[in-house]
Amino acid sequence: MVTEVAAFRGVGKSYGRVRAVDGLDLVLRPGETVALLGPNGAGKSTSLDLLLGLREPDRGSVTLFGGAPRAAIEAGRVGAMLQSGGLMSDVKVRELVRLACDVHPRGRSVTGVLTDAGITELAERRVDKLSGGQEQRVRFALAIAGDNDLIVLDEPTTGMDVGVRQSFWASMRAQADAGRTVLFATHYLEEADSIADRVLVLHRGRLIADGTSAEIKARAGARRIAFELHDADGGFEESVLRTLPGVSSLDVTARVPGTRTVRIRTADADATVAGIYRAGLYPRGLEVTGVGLEQAFLTITGELDREDGGGTGTDSADVAGAEKESVR
Amino acid sequence: MTTLIRLEILRTLRNRRYLLFTIAYPALMYFFFINAYGSTSLAGGLPVKTYFMVSMATFGAVGAVLTGSAQRISLERKSGWVRQLRLTALPGRAYTVGKIAATAVTTLPAILVVFAVGASQGVSLSGPQWLGLAAALWLGSFVFAALGVALGYAAAPDAVQPIVMITYMAMALLGGTWFPVSGSLERFARFNPVYLYNELATFTQPGHSLDTVAVAGLAAFLVVFTAAAAALYRRDTRQA
Repeated sequence: MVTEVAAFRGVGKSYGRVRAVDGLDLVLRPGETVALLGPNGAGKSTSLDLLLGLREPDRGSVTLFGGAPRAAIEAGRVGAMLQSGGLMSDVKVRELVRLACDVHPRGRSVTGVLTDAGITELAERRVDKLSGGQEQRVRFALAIAGDNDLIVLDEPTTGMDVGVRQSFWASMRAQADAGRTVLFATHYLEEADSIADRVLVLHRGRLIADGTSAEIKARAGARRIAFELHDADGGFEESVLRTLPGVSSLDVTARVPGTRTVRIRTADADATVAGIYRAGLYPRGLEVTGVGLEQAFLTITGELDREDGGGTGTDSADVAGAEKESVR
Repeated sequence: MTTLIRLEILRTLRNRRYLLFTIAYPALMYFFFINAYGSTSLAGGLPVKTYFMVSMATFGAVGAVLTGSAQRISLERKSGWVRQLRLTALPGRAYTVGKIAATAVTTLPAILVVFAVGASQGVSLSGPQWLGLAAALWLGSFVFAALGVALGYAAAPDAVQPIVMITYMAMALLGGTWFPVSGSLERFARFNPVYLYNELATFTQPGHSLDTVAVAGLAAFLVVFTAAAAALYRRDTRQA
């Protein structure tokens, strides 16, 4: 039993002066469902290209099932759906799926693949007459045309509306339940949160977080505390707030005269709240909420941007924009 | 790989634009030329009807392979279908082999339809001559298939269309497709693959055998175009 599906060891890849992937170390284990997160330009697609042998790394090594990526593909162990994977025109969906099943060394039945991808009713349609979401499902069918051990999906639900996305997730889960390792890149954080049992966060070509969705949320500071302080209740020093236990970030605004709004992110909400009262403050409208994966993601990438002194979180803004798209 | 080739052929035959431009168009041009020249005159030492039957067959065949390979390869590189195929167990050359095989099959109707029209208009050749001519023109089309593959890997879709049209029309114009070339034009034409391609038909004339110079010239072009196609293919693969 191989305990390693895929491995990146010290992998680097540059395009001219841009470092798309910078010192990536990563091992995927059998049976995992792994989400690869990152803002646009974080190196997700390049990493997947390297994993599939479509590009060669400048430094380090990439292996699939202990060997070269191309060998794993020729052995029929990997199925992939690329963001930039076009389809043949002038053919019917069934013909294209049959081609994929035929050329796969461990090809499945055409009917089975059509059913699993949920495109049985599209089988007789011409590929060039499909909508964006339908095309995505045909691409998915090509990725599951054989008995693969690993399935790689690059932003699989782009262009799907909400209902279709839900049923697509079910198809993805079915693949994972069949014991396959699934790696998918996405910028829909909800998708990572609800499907993946491991989340990788890529930022500027580096792996900056690797763990369960819960661990990543905890790392970002698990809870948010918000309240108001009224001058009528007595004055206070902001430094008092800063020294509260567990606080990882603090934001104080004073939009209304005599009232200040305080927002705290904390790793230990209980201790922070106890500290607020111990300091003699009178918080009004106190709220304690958990942060979602999206917030955690923005926090982690934002921290790095500040450390680097560079970009002022523009990358993170991209992700927020993408997330809004997913809600629409 | 046979599934891929079968599907490539099927989709080419399904494409209406292909049928119109590579089969119907040369046949219509043939009628136009034989009427314009009149049936009694000679062209390039041949009866007009025979001369233009050959030149329109080569016109259709070159058009079929250039558009069938160059434009499609260029489009499918852009759409990502080429990348998708690289994620299958198919060997890297399968895609190109499939394209050439598909265009080779589809040049046959382009040649045969013009031949049928020629025969109906009174072109008379012996059985072996018909067969030999069809075989020579069919085999000659592989030279242009290699050129098509090279062009398909050389340029993006929006650029490849004009490049193909200009190359095709210039070669046809100076290669005797629309009028026989003579004099100084003919000296240059020796370096034009379409001219050499048209020359393959001269063995049907009394007292002529197969033009070995033309065959050698075409073989040289095949080597050059294949080498260019292979180099451009490798460049494309490195860029993923």
